[in-house]
Amino acid sequence: MPDNQQNKDIKELGATLLEIAMLLMVSGASTGRIRNTIDRVSTSFSYTANMFISQRTIMLSMYNEENECIFNSLKRTSQHGINFTTLSGISRMSWSILEEKWTVKKINEELNRLCALPHYPRIVTLLLTGLAGAAFCRLAGGALLDMTVVFAGTMAGLFVKQEATKLNFNPYLCVYLAALTSSLIAGSLVKFNPGTDHEFAFATSVLFLIPGVPLINAFSDMIDGNLQNGLIRGMNGFIISFSIALGLLTSMATYHF
Amino acid sequence: MDWLLLLEKGFWFGLAAVGFAILFNVPVRTLLSVFIMGALGGIIKNLLLQFEINVIIASFAGAVLIGFISISFAHNKHAPPPIFAIPAVIPMVPGIFAYRMMLGLISLAGNINQAAYSQVLSDTIHNGLKVMFILMSLATGVAIPMLITRKDSAKEIRFRKVKDNF
Repeated sequence: MPDNQQNKDIKELGATLLEIAMLLMVSGASTGRIRNTIDRVSTSFSYTANMFISQRTIMLSMYNEENECIFNSLKRTSQHGINFTTLSGISRMSWSILEEKWTVKKINEELNRLCALPHYPRIVTLLLTGLAGAAFCRLAGGALLDMTVVFAGTMAGLFVKQEATKLNFNPYLCVYLAALTSSLIAGSLVKFNPGTDHEFAFATSVLFLIPGVPLINAFSDMIDGNLQNGLIRGMNGFIISFSIALGLLTSMATYHF
Repeated sequence: MDWLLLLEKGFWFGLAAVGFAILFNVPVRTLLSVFIMGALGGIIKNLLLQFEINVIIASFAGAVLIGFISISFAHNKHAPPPIFAIPAVIPMVPGIFAYRMMLGLISLAGNINQAAYSQVLSDTIHNGLKVMFILMSLATGVAIPMLITRKDSAKEIRFRKVKDNF
């Protein structure tokens, strides 16, 4: 029964393509990049893939050379979490698929390998993000004392964010809690050392939370003509910024300044 | 002009970029490139600021530089350009302006007398517009190399002189 076998292969390929698109979306790829990658992979199997890409759902239809629709399916995305290692791995893989004519089985194995790749150790992430916060503070004009406090505040804030994410809190609430922690720590400097101006420390302690990837992707989607996705991503970035501001506001109210 | 101060700023820009790169979980092989790009972009921005050029244009110039370097690093390190470019431009995000805009908005919403109102309003709009335009120029800046070469993938972009090296 060759027909059945072929149907099974097509279904497998379709599921794999959806998985690739979903992984790209949650790892922080722009819409154009997702479309290009899926086109590249489906071309290698000489099918045409048409997609509808949105933040939470991805829809894919595949057509064969006679322009018959052979696969049509939807996939919900998992929770978004920026991971550039996945992005780079999938990009390299898509070129190998095209050049070396990989089979679906090999693609799935590679996808599994990419998903299992470790993150940086938690302590490294915390320390370097803390250093980044201190660097921000220095750039804004802070002194050594400000930098130290921002370092501690950023580390504590990121720690709280990671723990809150683990506990499955709403993502915006995680950002709020992180901003609150960081600004409470940095704000103590303003409160208890009033002689000098510590505004920089207070303002830069929450900068590690800025939604850089959503905002930049929003803009690249917009100039690509994916206006709808661009607006949605921009809105997401805006709400994250709002949560940060709310966190700052809460600690300002706490300290009365 | 104080070159040492400029280099120091470059160092901090690079460090901030690496912090974000780690947060975004970039591959280890790209970390050094991210540091270099963040530092160079920041140095260009500060250099232009010292010549009293508007902060929006200075940020744009830094982002364009980062965009172009990201293409050549993408070839060398085999990773897509945004992986280098996004962490590298984030240190240029105008955090202080955004903070002041927020403070302004809050005081506008509170009890404020008429005389202070117009001053706070104009400051807030000034800071807010700066934030908006700097963010836009950062995003456009990193996209410029792809826009002017009219290619879908950085893999198709080759700078003529280095064509035969890889």
